[in-house]
Amino acid sequence: MELKMLLIISVSAIFVSNFVLHRFLGLCPYIGVSKNLDSALGMGMAVIFVMSIASVVTWSIFHYFLEPSPINIIARCFHKNPPDLTFLRTIAFILVIASLVQFVEMVIQKLSPGLYRSLGIYLPLITTNCAVLGVSILNIDENYNFLQSLVNGFMSGIGFTLALILMAGLREKLELANVPKSMRGTPIAFITAACMALAFLGFSGLTIN
Amino acid sequence: MKEIIKYALILMAVTLTASGALALVNHFTAPKIEAQKQKELSLGLAYVLPEAESGIIIEEKLNETVIYKGYANKDTTQLTGYAFSAYAQGYSSRIWTLVGVDTAGLINRINILDQKETPGLGARCTEIKSGDKNPWWQRQFQEKNAQTIAVKNDGGTIESITGATITSRSITNAVSEQSRILFNNLNHQE
Amino acid sequence: MSRFKEFTKGIFSENPVFRLMLGLCPVLATSTSVKNAIGMGLAVLFVLFCSNVIVSLIRNWVPAKIRIPIYISIIATFVTIVDLVMAGYFPELHHSLGLFIPLIVVNCIILGRAEAFAGKHTVFLSIIDAFGMGIGFTAALITIATFREILGNGTWLGMTIFGTGFEPVLLMILSPGAFLTIGLLIGFLNWFEHYRTVHHS
Repeated sequence: MELKMLLIISVSAIFVSNFVLHRFLGLCPYIGVSKNLDSALGMGMAVIFVMSIASVVTWSIFHYFLEPSPINIIARCFHKNPPDLTFLRTIAFILVIASLVQFVEMVIQKLSPGLYRSLGIYLPLITTNCAVLGVSILNIDENYNFLQSLVNGFMSGIGFTLALILMAGLREKLELANVPKSMRGTPIAFITAACMALAFLGFSGLTIN
Repeated sequence: MKEIIKYALILMAVTLTASGALALVNHFTAPKIEAQKQKELSLGLAYVLPEAESGIIIEEKLNETVIYKGYANKDTTQLTGYAFSAYAQGYSSRIWTLVGVDTAGLINRINILDQKETPGLGARCTEIKSGDKNPWWQRQFQEKNAQTIAVKNDGGTIESITGATITSRSITNAVSEQSRILFNNLNHQE
Repeated sequence: MSRFKEFTKGIFSENPVFRLMLGLCPVLATSTSVKNAIGMGLAVLFVLFCSNVIVSLIRNWVPAKIRIPIYISIIATFVTIVDLVMAGYFPELHHSLGLFIPLIVVNCIILGRAEAFAGKHTVFLSIIDAFGMGIGFTAALITIATFREILGNGTWLGMTIFGTGFEPVLLMILSPGAFLTIGLLIGFLNWFEHYRTVHHS
């Protein structure tokens, strides 16, 4: 049952409710970084990493510090009823994500300067990537446990990267096509996204028994 | 080194001020938000337990699940039925359905209180046709046995919404599963 | 730049959605109906206004190195305030906008304006900028929502436009319709811009 739930979460995150094409999360980098395949792949990897770790860290902060539940730290240490701090969710999550991205930036700069240069401005922009904050909040709203949140974060990152790579491949081809002048660049990218979203709608019939 | 400490202190001051401001706003809005939730719940319960309208509805905990017992009189002598929440993983959201059954296990009414399904497809589970007072799809559930209810594709009597088989099936199965749990617990109580 | 120009640039020449391509996620997600569009637009306008004012007020005391986390904290505070007030007083709108209310905090427009403008200009100019950008954002949202709601649902702001014989184009309400609408609109605006420059020279 536990494994089946994880499988459902994975299939849903990648295909049925794809983060970019169905939930509209992560659009800015989707349009901005999908111009060529290599940077798309690099960005995708970074996003998968950030989303997975962010899911886990934000889940822990919410359930151990903010939500008044039996596992709350304050409840455990002081044996009193912990205050309901769930209203601090947004500010806590975004600050955690910002720090995480800063950390990932430093790591990439040390390990792979080439990747760091090619990602350029888009690396710190992962902080404002709706997908990262989005998946953190979704994990809480859907009442996932620790493992489910981790899987959801990781798989949503994969779904995002999948859409990103598909888009990059298509855009590389579009560069060589004869597109009307007003539609060149972003407009035709959106129309392409529309076709992809249409295709992914076909996954809505997927069920797991 | 001194700079880092100064920066850390400034950041801490900013976040503390922010948290303080939020705590203040939360203090004023939290009771309103709670009141909204309670109102939604009690309206929903009154709808699925109509015979308890002049009586009282009491919340109880049965084996870790919350159920509601409806009585026709305020002195809890005449039990008219039970209500419980059934949660279903729909196509794109978690669907919250309130189910009211009579003591024999037949459904009074269901009330889908929360869903974010696809508009025009799954979201039609809460659609009210013009001139009607309640959702047409949910009316099918009335008077049926809660524990054996199923969609037509699974051998039951509930007609799925066109193009929204996932939503229809999830809701129906959640209702039957949760009512089986309820009556199981009730039987074990005796 | 004249005060008036500061204001109108947010609506036309530097429209955050159609020209600067910022804040796209909520635009596509909340443009399913004009009512949602107005709600989201006003929420963003409120946060943009408040954050621009505060950022501009403290601009001389913020150390440059930690300005981004400070801006984020300020924006997150106002977003939470909007979230709580909406949940308490406008529960239906809060429910339809859902996830995208807290996501206002990562709306590139707000952080972008704080960093690019409010941190360097006076409070008065920052207020004008906030209103310009906010109204521009809302106008773009309402435009896209108008197309999607009329074609996809046969209504505008809930009022039925066509008679009962109208078969709504369901696709417009779903995700492909969103991408299609914004792609065609930007393409049209590009064409219009080109047409204007050609005919003015």
